[in-house]
Amino acid sequence: MAAIVRLGSVCRRGVKPLFYQSTLLARPLVVPHKYQEQPYQLTAKIHASQALYAGSGSKAASLHWTAERVLSILLLAMGPAAYFNPCPAIDYSLAAALTLHGHWGIGQVLTDYVHGDTKIKLANAGLFLLSTVTFAGLCYFNYNDVGICKAIALLWSK
Amino acid sequence: MALLLRTLARQGVCLSRPCVARSVFYRHAAPMGTTAKDEMNKFWAKNSKLNRPMSPHLTIYKWSVPMVMSITFRGTGVGLSGAISAFALAALVLPESYPYYLDLIHSLSIGPYLIGLAKFGLALPVSFHTYNGIRHLCWDLGKGFRIPEVYRTGYTVIGLSIITSLALAYL
Repeated sequence: MAAIVRLGSVCRRGVKPLFYQSTLLARPLVVPHKYQEQPYQLTAKIHASQALYAGSGSKAASLHWTAERVLSILLLAMGPAAYFNPCPAIDYSLAAALTLHGHWGIGQVLTDYVHGDTKIKLANAGLFLLSTVTFAGLCYFNYNDVGICKAIALLWSK
Repeated sequence: MALLLRTLARQGVCLSRPCVARSVFYRHAAPMGTTAKDEMNKFWAKNSKLNRPMSPHLTIYKWSVPMVMSITFRGTGVGLSGAISAFALAALVLPESYPYYLDLIHSLSIGPYLIGLAKFGLALPVSFHTYNGIRHLCWDLGKGFRIPEVYRTGYTVIGLSIITSLALAYL
C-alpha cells in the first residue's frame, strides 16, 4: 500500500501542544490512483493520549502533568516572594511546595528507571515515606527553629 | 501512522465509499484489547526472560549540549531534593538549633574564598535547575523546539546560571 502521508501540511498547520490537553492529531492522507478514480483526502483521527483507545480513558495522568507545571510556576513565584516578604506563611508554603515538587520529580525519575510491578510499588512507597519525613522535618524546623527564609538569610550572611 | 496502516491492512483497502471513509477509519481505530501497561509488562517479562544483551548507548552515542544539560537538570533535581530531605531529617534528629550549628561552622574560621566557593557551589545547582526549569516550561507551551533555538536557549541558561551564582556568591 502506497499511501502518501502529507506530514508537511501537518507541520505547517502546527500541532497543538499537549499543554492545551488536546488528545487528537489529525493527519491528512492522500490515497493514490491505484485504489480509486481520483485521490481524495481522508482524515484519520489518531489518539495521542497515553492509554490506547480502549474506551476507558482516564484524565488522571494528564491532570497530574498539568498540576506539576502549575506547581513549578507557583514555586518560581515563591522565590521573590520569600526574598521580599519573609514570613511564616511563606515558610510553610515553601515547605509544602518544595516537598511536593521534589516528590513528583523523583516520582518521574522512578517511573523512568524502575521496572516490574513489585519494584515500582516498593520504590514509590519508599519515596512516599521520604517525602512525608521531609515535609514533617521542614514543618518542625519552621515551628521550632528559625524557619526556612531566615535560615537561608543567616546562611548567606556568613 | 502505524495505526492507520494496520487498520487498512486488516479490512483490506476497500476505499470505494468515499463518504463513509472517515467514519470507517474512526470506527476501527481500536485495534487492541490490551492496555499500554499490559503490553509494557509483557514486553519486560519477555525481555528479562530472554536475557537479551542491551545495545550500547552511553558508550557510543555522541554527547551533545542538550543531552548533557538534560541529564544535569535531572541530576541537580535529584541532588537538591536529596539535600532538602537531608536537611529536614537533620532538623528532626539533631538536638541543637540551627544558629548553634551555624556558629559552629563559623568558628572553624574558613577563609572568605572557601566560603565564597561554597556559596557558589550551593547557588549553581539551584540557579541551573531554576533556569532550565523555565526553559522546560517554555517547551511545554510549545515554544523553542527548533534545534538552533534549543542550543541558543541552552547556552543562555548556562550563562545565566553561572552569572547568577557568581552574583549570589559575592553577596
